[in-house]
Amino acid sequence: MIARRTIAFLRGIAILTAFLFIGQFLHGLGVPIPGGVLGLIVFYFALSAGVVQLDWVDAASNLLLRNMVLLFVPLTVGLMDMVGLLSRQALAIAASLLVSLAAVVLTTGLLGQWLLPPDNEAAENGGAQPIRTGRESAS
Amino acid sequence: MNAIAHPAFSVALTIAAYSLGIKLHNQWKWVPPIVVACVPIIVVLLLCHEPYAVYNRGGNLLSWWLGPATVALATPMYRNGKVLRASLPRLALIVVIGSIVGMVTAGVTAWLFGAPLPVVMSAVPKSVTTPIAIEVCRELKGIPQITIAMVLLTGVLGASVAPPLLRLVHVRNHHAIGAATGTAAHGIGTASLVRRSEMQATASSWAMAAAGVFTSLLAILLRLFLH
Repeated sequence: MIARRTIAFLRGIAILTAFLFIGQFLHGLGVPIPGGVLGLIVFYFALSAGVVQLDWVDAASNLLLRNMVLLFVPLTVGLMDMVGLLSRQALAIAASLLVSLAAVVLTTGLLGQWLLPPDNEAAENGGAQPIRTGRESAS
Repeated sequence: MNAIAHPAFSVALTIAAYSLGIKLHNQWKWVPPIVVACVPIIVVLLLCHEPYAVYNRGGNLLSWWLGPATVALATPMYRNGKVLRASLPRLALIVVIGSIVGMVTAGVTAWLFGAPLPVVMSAVPKSVTTPIAIEVCRELKGIPQITIAMVLLTGVLGASVAPPLLRLVHVRNHHAIGAATGTAAHGIGTASLVRRSEMQATASSWAMAAAGVFTSLLAILLRLFLH
């Protein structure tokens, strides 16, 4: 049982890595979208077409997604090397960051609240029922 | 040869610091795990007088997994695909507008505060995921280090600020919250939603990917406009 779960996990990692390779390969051929996102798009279409089954990658995907913050830690630690560079333009950078963050969150959020169908009535607008996965409030 | 120079030490230290961050976050929701994770690492490096580059020999091993993790974002995207498909054209429109607003406000604000052109260009892609932002920054002749700093700060700040800010203006729609967080705060914002609600995370991961694609394409237009 444990062995089967481990194999399923490793298969998921292999599939995700293979699609990353496809994305980076296509990017190398001159597609102007970065390899990771290109891999994501191709993988999404592969799932839609049924080439890859969801349960082949579920365990691997969940581990990576639920702990994605861990993967950002080394880059964030890199801020310690940029103190001099940042302090010279600190005011412009901080202002740009705050204004833009607020503008994007408010524009996108309010447009979404206005344009997107309400969560509970998605069926009325699109004919599809929201899929409850039981993970909604997991944390 | 000291301990920190071993990649294994960096990886172990990083995972330990991240676990501490998650533990504190579970205790007090307002504590951002990434900030808690980074502080002990920076303290250790400063106390040992070790440069970041030495730590990053091991750090790189973890950063590499951002590639497969980006691909993995298709999984929650697909799982709620039927729900999203009905509103996908509207979501796309919202994310395009959000991306334009993000690029323009970031660039114009930096310019108004007297930043030189390379810094202005570094600010433009700051809303999208790190690997895309770096490439867009290079296309626009910005300074990648400044872009990385802004992307990470935007992500950290956005992950903790976006949900309360949206509550304040009565945005309660799961897809709207996801779209706003993914467009504004890329992977760090999305990661914070993954631990909270899959519907928000789906819209967020879709918006994050779409914002990355749209920003790359809009950057090509911006470059043509500048010449």
